[in-house]
Amino acid sequence: MSIFIDQHTKVLVQGITGSEGSFWTKHMIELGTKVVCGVTPGKEGQFVEGKPVYNTVKKAVLLHDIDASMLFVPPKLTKDAVMETLNSGIKKIVTISDGIPLHDMVLIRQAAKEHGALVVGGNTSGVISPKVAMMGSFPHWIERVYKKGNIGVMTRSGSLTNEVTAMIVEAGYGVSTLIGVGGDPVPGTRFAEMLPYYEADSETNAVVIIGELGGTMEEEVAEAIKNKTFTKPLVAFLGGRTAPKGQRMGHAGAIISGGKGSVEDKIKALTEVGALVAERPRMVGKLLVELKVPKSI
Amino acid sequence: MKLYEYQAKEVFKESGIPIPKSILIHQEDELAQAIEQIGLPLVIKSQVLTGGRGKAGLISFVKTKEDAIFHVHRLFNHEIKIKSLLIEQAVHIKAEIYVSITVDPYMATGLLLASKEGGIDIEILAATQPEKIVREPIDLRYGLMPYQAQSVAYELGLSPEQTKEATKLLLKLYDVFKKYDCELVEINPLFITEENTLVAGDGKLMIDDNSLFRQTRFEQTKEDYKTEAEYDAVQEGIPFIQFDGDIGLMCAGAGLTTTVYDLINYEGGKVANYLEFGGPNYKKAVKAMEICLKVPSKVILIVTFGTIARADVMAEGIVDAIKRLKPDRPIVTCIRGTNEAEAVRILKEAGLEPLFDTEEAVKKAVALSKGV
Repeated sequence: MSIFIDQHTKVLVQGITGSEGSFWTKHMIELGTKVVCGVTPGKEGQFVEGKPVYNTVKKAVLLHDIDASMLFVPPKLTKDAVMETLNSGIKKIVTISDGIPLHDMVLIRQAAKEHGALVVGGNTSGVISPKVAMMGSFPHWIERVYKKGNIGVMTRSGSLTNEVTAMIVEAGYGVSTLIGVGGDPVPGTRFAEMLPYYEADSETNAVVIIGELGGTMEEEVAEAIKNKTFTKPLVAFLGGRTAPKGQRMGHAGAIISGGKGSVEDKIKALTEVGALVAERPRMVGKLLVELKVPKSI
Repeated sequence: MKLYEYQAKEVFKESGIPIPKSILIHQEDELAQAIEQIGLPLVIKSQVLTGGRGKAGLISFVKTKEDAIFHVHRLFNHEIKIKSLLIEQAVHIKAEIYVSITVDPYMATGLLLASKEGGIDIEILAATQPEKIVREPIDLRYGLMPYQAQSVAYELGLSPEQTKEATKLLLKLYDVFKKYDCELVEINPLFITEENTLVAGDGKLMIDDNSLFRQTRFEQTKEDYKTEAEYDAVQEGIPFIQFDGDIGLMCAGAGLTTTVYDLINYEGGKVANYLEFGGPNYKKAVKAMEICLKVPSKVILIVTFGTIARADVMAEGIVDAIKRLKPDRPIVTCIRGTNEAEAVRILKEAGLEPLFDTEEAVKKAVALSKGV
């Protein structure tokens, strides 16, 4: 079992005919993802990797059973595309594009809540269950990163996720499901909102979060541990401990505002509830060992 | 993108938010005419993008023409580059309040913040006396409703007359927030005059960078950047910040670059510049290195762990950049990710010694920066 996506999840790809869309569709299928069809307005009748392309999501859901949609859509058009998907009744959406306007993301998250849907992203690589399935753009063939295992990973980053996950693998572990919530100030889905899924997943023994300065997502995780909605071991790595105060460095979401969001606050909140915080990427693996997390289920 | 005070006030004025009478001057000889039109006393406000202008001595309240001439001269010759000064009428004030509109990421709403404590640092107030801040969430689908604006004014304890004014002003402030895709629009302080009218004492407006494709009114020019390297980076869309250390970073990915920045500090090194050439910029190694070389540093550290940003393409770019630019300082590489075996071959062929471990690369760069 994995969360969000597995080999049975029927996936629609929006923007499937674009260069990124077609490239990653090929890799999603190669990994085992059940891509059923695609949508690109004006390209109906074409096929990508043998999958039919439609003009609208409405038509795609009419002709196929669809559980989730993967969006390779430019940031300017993302709000429109997400609304089309939500209004077609699809409850799981991953949108990877970097640069979605802030006010659009607020409206997207609001709409997702109303539809009882999960929108993961933007500014992310997506979601992957190594050796099972993925929605997004992960180099799943790099074995020292994308190894199957029993550690759930949630992240706000891309390259840093490769760095940290490689350290999890170096310590003898692998990943159950990795969810990139993305680096924007308003992600569609927040860390704590995914925790119940990891809690319920029998194949996840512990969770690693890769966070950074800015926002309150890490504090919300601490809150979930405190009120016992999440009870498995948790290790965090947080970037930006020494970042200059008051300056935006890195992701758009990585800025301290309203007196909240410093890494010190996050470390305090997490350690107070018994989570461990790694100072360096390599320590993530070591802390999992220290917590005596078994190397397999 | 952060606007200058005078730009924010221009927007306020157009939207019907009262501002003090003012004139923007670019050189000393424009002062006399400004005084004639504005009258005395007046406030001379440096148009710079940094906060804390008052404390830094960049704002002067003057009562006489002589004082005005003195301070205008002083500010135009200040060590920090000041392009323009806002000559503003001094307002007779009864009280100062704080208002702003921003975004609440968790609730996925807009958020109106207001406080009776005008002129303070809201970050400090939020941390020390959060009860002094009135918060009103705004559903962006419907916008700020008049009843909400009014209830905020009541909660601030304003008089009936002031409440009426504040309600109108807040609704206009929301219009600005929406129209300009604001990350933040803030009036701090908002003056309450002796006549119970409201006047924006200051103006802060930050446009969401992701919305700049549809917010094209304000553009930043070369003079708005501290260094040539910063300006070049912005033109290329390369995230870049200059510091005063001696290790230049040329890394991929915001999170990884930030982490390398931390690791350098842990090891006792100092960063000369932050630069990301991953994501859409991974083929821009030559440009990225050119920018890094404009910054004084003793070593350039390249760390990547790319996905779409293929390691072999980045390695080729780096080798090409070295050939073309002939850097005058050592380069430490740690390039991993898609097609990394090929990347290693390319780097070795060019005579580099690629590393695979981030911490090892950081240690080597710190040692080189200290001349070890």
